[in-house]
Amino acid sequence: MTEFHWNWLIVNYLFLAGISSGAFATSGLANYLGGQKYGTVAKVGAYIAPFPVIIGTSLLLFDLGKPFRFWRLFAGIQWTSPMSIGSWLLSIFIVISLAYLLLWLPKPYSNFVRVPRSPKNIIKLKSWTKLSPGENRRWRLILGAVGLPLSVGVAMYTGVLLGAVPARPFWNTPMVAQLFLFSAMSTGVGAILVISAIMTRHSESYHEKVLLNSVDTVLIVFEIFMIIPFLLHQTLSTWSHKEAVGLIMGGEFTAQFWVGVILIGILMPLSIEIYELWHLVVKKHMPKMRINLGMVSGGLVIFGGLMLRYVFVYAGQVSHFLPHY
Amino acid sequence: MATKRFAFVIETERCIDCKACMVSCSVENNVPVGHHRNWVHQIGIKGTFPDVGMSFEPGQCMHCENPPCERVCPVGATYRRDDGLVMVDQDVCIGCKYCIEACPYDARYFNEETGVTDKCTACVHRVYQGEEPACVATCIGGARHFGDINDPNSEVAKLLATNDYYRVYEAAGTEPGVYYIYKGGRKA
Repeated sequence: MTEFHWNWLIVNYLFLAGISSGAFATSGLANYLGGQKYGTVAKVGAYIAPFPVIIGTSLLLFDLGKPFRFWRLFAGIQWTSPMSIGSWLLSIFIVISLAYLLLWLPKPYSNFVRVPRSPKNIIKLKSWTKLSPGENRRWRLILGAVGLPLSVGVAMYTGVLLGAVPARPFWNTPMVAQLFLFSAMSTGVGAILVISAIMTRHSESYHEKVLLNSVDTVLIVFEIFMIIPFLLHQTLSTWSHKEAVGLIMGGEFTAQFWVGVILIGILMPLSIEIYELWHLVVKKHMPKMRINLGMVSGGLVIFGGLMLRYVFVYAGQVSHFLPHY
Repeated sequence: MATKRFAFVIETERCIDCKACMVSCSVENNVPVGHHRNWVHQIGIKGTFPDVGMSFEPGQCMHCENPPCERVCPVGATYRRDDGLVMVDQDVCIGCKYCIEACPYDARYFNEETGVTDKCTACVHRVYQGEEPACVATCIGGARHFGDINDPNSEVAKLLATNDYYRVYEAAGTEPGVYYIYKGGRKA
C-alpha cells in the first residue's frame, strides 16, 4: 500500500501556480499585441495573476512538516534541487505580478500607486509621486517583459519538480515539464475567460474573443501533442514505465485521466473553442447563445488542469522502478 | 590511504526473515510505530521441488555515493559525510518530503512526531563507540555486516574480495553502499 506523502495541498499548489503563470503570460502578451485592442484580456490577466499563486504557496507551507522553517528555502540556493530554484522563481514572480497588478488598477485606486523619484528621498513617502500615463504604459511593458519568462519558468518548474525525480517512472520523463507548461498557460487563459465573463462591464471585444479562443486552442492542441508521446513513451519504455502508465490505462486512475483530463479538460473545451472560433472567424460574429461559451470552455479547461495535476501527483507516487515486495 | 567508506554487506543466504533487525532498529532509534528504517523483502522462490526455499533481501538506506535525496533537498538538510554515510540534519529539514519521493529504495519516512524526514543513520552513534549498528549486532543468522570497505583488513572488504555481489538498482547511478552477496542466485 503506497503512502501518499504529497496530497491535495501539492495538487492545488501546482495547479494554482499554473493558473497564475498562464494569466500573467496571457496578460503580458495581450498588452504587447495591443494594449487598447486587447485591453480587457490584459487587465483581467493582471488582476488574476498574483492571487492563485499566493494561495498556492500558502497551502504549500501547511504541507511542510516544519512550516516555521520555510525561511530556510531562502537562506541559500541549492542548484541541484528543483524545489529550491522553484521557490526563488515563485517569490520573484509573485513580487513582479503584484507590481504589475498595481499598474492596471482602475481609476480611484490607481491614485494610491506612488513611486519614489530619487534614492535620497526614498524614505520620505511624501516625495513619492504618481506615474504619468506614459510611464504607466512603459512600466506595463517592462514588467510584462520581465515577468513573461518568469511565468514560463514557474509553469515549467511545476512539471520539473516531478520530472526530476529518478525514483518515479510515471514522472520521470522530460515531457511532464512541457505538458504542465502548456496546461498551465491554458488554465491561465481559462481563468481569464471565466473572470472576464463574470465581470460583465468589461466583456471582451470580438478581437479578444478571437485571441483567447485561438491561443487556448493552440495550447490544448500542444497538450495533446505532449500526452500522445507521453503515453507512447511510457508504454514502449522499460517495464517500470509500462507498469506506471498502466495506472491510467486500466489501473486505478483510468477514469480520472480519460474522463477528467482528456474528455472534460481537453476534448470538450477544444470542441467548444473551435465551434466559437468558427463562428467568429468564418461568420464574423459571436455565436448567439444564452450562455457565455467562453465561461464554459474556460471552466472546463480549469477543471481539466486540476485533474491533470491530481492524476500526476497521485499516480506518480504509486509508480515505482523496483518491484513492490 | 583511501578515505573511509562505510557500507553494509549482506549475505542473503543467511537471512531467515526473522525481522529482528527491524525490531532492534526501531528500539535503538526510537522509530515511531508504523514506520521502519529497514526491511526484509521476499524476493522469490529458489530451487526446484522438492528442494525449494524462499530468498530474502534485507535492506535499509543504501547510503548512496550519489544520493538522489541529497540532490533534491531544497535546504541542504540531507548531506553525505566524509565516511560515506548519508544523513538528515534534523535541525535544518523543513519536512517538504521531496527526498522521500526521490528515493528509489523508499528508504525514507516522514516522522510525524518530529515533523521532519527520517531514515537509517547506520547507528552512527554506536559505530564511533566501536559497536556495530543495531541491525547488524542483532542479526541471528549473521547475514548483516557493516564496516569500512576501503580498509582491506575489514570484514566487509574481505567478504567483497572473495564473493560475487550485486547492488540494487545500480542503473540509476546511485552507487548504493549496500552490497548483497548471493549464493542461491537472485530471482528478480
